[in-house]
Amino acid sequence: MAEVSLQNVRKSFGAVDVIKGVDLQVNDGEFCVFVGPSGCGKSTLLRMIAGLEEISSGELKIGGKDMTKVPPSNRGVAMVFQSYALYPHMSVEENIGFGLKMAKVPKADIEARVAYASKMLQLDTLRQRKPGQLSGGQRQRVAIGRAIVREPGVFLFDEPLSNLDAALRVQMRTELSQLHQDLKSTMIYVTHDQIEAMTMADKIVVLSAGLIEQVGSPLELYHRPKNLFVAQFIGSPKMNVVPAKVAAVSGDIAHVSVDGGSMLALPLRGGKVSVGDVVSLGIRPEHMSVSSEGVMQATVKLAERLGSETMLHLSGPGGAAIIVRSDGLASEKPGDVVALTMPAGCCHLFDAAGIAIVNGALI
Amino acid sequence: MSITSLKPLNLTFPDTWWRRNQMWVTPLLLLLPAAVVFTIFVIIPIFQSITLSFYDWDGINPKKWVGFSNYTELFGDEVFWKAIFNNIWWLFAFMLGPVFGLALALFLNQNVRGIRLAKSLFFFPFVISQVVVGLVFGWFFNSQFGLLNELLSHFGVEPLALIEGENTATFVVILAGLWPQVSYCMILYLTGLTAMNGEVIEAARMDGAKGWNLLWHIILPQLRPATFIAVVVSVVGALRSFDLVSIMTLGGPYNSSTVLAYMMYEQTFLNFRYGYGAAIATVLFIIMDVYIAFFLYSMLKREAR
Repeated sequence: MAEVSLQNVRKSFGAVDVIKGVDLQVNDGEFCVFVGPSGCGKSTLLRMIAGLEEISSGELKIGGKDMTKVPPSNRGVAMVFQSYALYPHMSVEENIGFGLKMAKVPKADIEARVAYASKMLQLDTLRQRKPGQLSGGQRQRVAIGRAIVREPGVFLFDEPLSNLDAALRVQMRTELSQLHQDLKSTMIYVTHDQIEAMTMADKIVVLSAGLIEQVGSPLELYHRPKNLFVAQFIGSPKMNVVPAKVAAVSGDIAHVSVDGGSMLALPLRGGKVSVGDVVSLGIRPEHMSVSSEGVMQATVKLAERLGSETMLHLSGPGGAAIIVRSDGLASEKPGDVVALTMPAGCCHLFDAAGIAIVNGALI
Repeated sequence: MSITSLKPLNLTFPDTWWRRNQMWVTPLLLLLPAAVVFTIFVIIPIFQSITLSFYDWDGINPKKWVGFSNYTELFGDEVFWKAIFNNIWWLFAFMLGPVFGLALALFLNQNVRGIRLAKSLFFFPFVISQVVVGLVFGWFFNSQFGLLNELLSHFGVEPLALIEGENTATFVVILAGLWPQVSYCMILYLTGLTAMNGEVIEAARMDGAKGWNLLWHIILPQLRPATFIAVVVSVVGALRSFDLVSIMTLGGPYNSSTVLAYMMYEQTFLNFRYGYGAAIATVLFIIMDVYIAFFLYSMLKREAR
C-alpha cells in the first residue's frame, strides 16, 4: 500500500529531454493509467518510477519515502513488462518465486506464496511448465504472478496487453480490474490504447512530448478536456473539430459562425472570447445527429454499419471531415446531403492555441 | 480500366515429373557435392589410415604387415605418454577460454563510444594466422632477445628461459593457443548476449538479482547454447593443437612439449614411419570419437526435451 508522488521529475538522454518536468500524485490504491501517443515518454516515466531509468532531476516518493536514488528492488514496486520478460529457463513456479528466492525468503514461505498466486491466476496445473510451453495469456498471468508474490505497494504495468489478441485483451482487461479490486494496491499502467485507459483507470494521465497534458478521471477527460490534444486523443472515433469564428458576443452567449455559414449560440459559462477570434469548435460524434433542424449541411461519404450503431463519415462545409454516431438502422447512404444538429451543451470551444475556452455542460 | 477488359490469365501449371518430385529431389541434389567430397577426402582416408596403422612403411619400399606391433610399440613409447599428458594439459587450460571469453564479452557488452573498435581489437587474435600468433609469442618469450626478459631486466630480474625449459615450454605454447581461443569464445558470448531480451534482465533487477546472482541465475542459463559451443570448440582446439607446437618449439626440448597431433606429424613426415604415424592418428581419432559421441548424445538429449 503506497502512494506515489513525482515532483518536477525530468529525464534527459544527453541533450535530448524526454521527460520535461512532471508533477503527479497517485493516491494509495488508485488505478492510474499513463496514456499518450508513441514517444510521449509514458514508458520512460514508468521506468523511472520502477528505478530502471535514472531520474535526471526532481524527486520521486513512494509511500512517503524518497526513492529517487533507491535501487529498483528496494522500492517496493513490481513491474509487468510488455514482452512479459519471463525467465525462459525457469518453470512457472520458479519464475514466480525467483524474487522471493533472491530476497532469501524461507523455502516454505516461497512455496506457500507461489501456490497462492498460481491458484489466484489459474496457473495451478501449469506450474512445472516452461514459458515456451505457455500461450500468450498464460505468460501474461505468470508475469503478473511474479509481481503479486512480492506484495508490492505499487504495481507497474508497461503496455501489458499489447501482445495479446483482441479477444484475450478484453478478457485480461476485466481480469486486471478484478485483480485491482482484490488487491487494493496502487497500480500504474501504461498504454497507448485509450479504451484500456477509459475502462480501467481511476485516474488517467495524458502525456504528450514529455509533459502532462491533463490528469483526471476518465469521464472528466472525456467531457472536460483542457485542450485540443486531450479532446482528440480520448474518445474513439475522435472528437470532431471544425474551424469557426466568433461573430458576436452578447453577455454570456457567444455567437459562433462555423465555416460554411451556419451560426451557433453557445453559452460561455465564464469563458472569455472577443469578436473576431478564430476558434475551433469540438463536438463528439455521438452528440451530433442527423435532423431536419440541423445547423450544418454535410454530405455522407461512407456509412460504417456496426449493427448497434452506424458511423456516418461526412464531408462538412469547406470539406471538414465529420463523423456522426448514428442509429444502427440509420437510413443515410453515401451521397445523401443531410443537416446535422449540434446541441450547445455538448460543444467545446478551443482558442487558436488549442486551449479549451469552454467545455460542454454534460458533467 | 476494369479488370474484365484484360486478357484472361492461365494460372494452371503443367504437371511434369520435376514438379511432382522436386520436394525430395532438390535436397538430394544439394547434398550430393558435399557428400561426394566428404567421402573422398574424409571417410575413405580414415579407413586408409586405420589400415595403414597395421603396416610398417617408409613411403618408398613395399608395405609390410606387422599386425598390432605399431600399437604395442606406441603404448610403450615414453613420448606418446608425454604427448597424451600434454594434450590433457591443453584440454584443462583451454577450458579457461570460455571463462575469460565470457568475462570479456560481459565487459564489452555495453554501449559506449568506440566499443565497436574495442570489440574488433579483442577479436583480432582470432583473425590473425596461428603462425603469426606462434611467432609473436615465440619471440616474446625467447630467452636471449625476447621482450619479456628485456622488460624483466629493468626490474633486475634474471632472464627466464621459459620456452626453452623442459617443464615450462608446454605452458608457454598453451598460453599462445589460449589467446585466440579467448577471442573466439568472446565473440560467441557476445552474439548470445546481444540476442538476449533486455527486459528479462530488467525483470531480474526488479526481482532483486544483481552481480553474481544475476549472472548465475539469469544470464548464464540463457547463454547455455553459447557456452556449449564455446566448450566444444575449445575441446576440439585443445585436442588437435599442432600448429603452435610446430612453430614455437617443434615439440621440444626433448619432446617435452609435444602433443599427439605433432607427434603424428613428426613420426610420419620427418621420420618416414607412415605406419607408426597412422597408429597415433588412429588413437587420436578414437579419443575424438569418444568425445564427439558424448557431445552428440548430450545435444540430442537436450533437443529431445
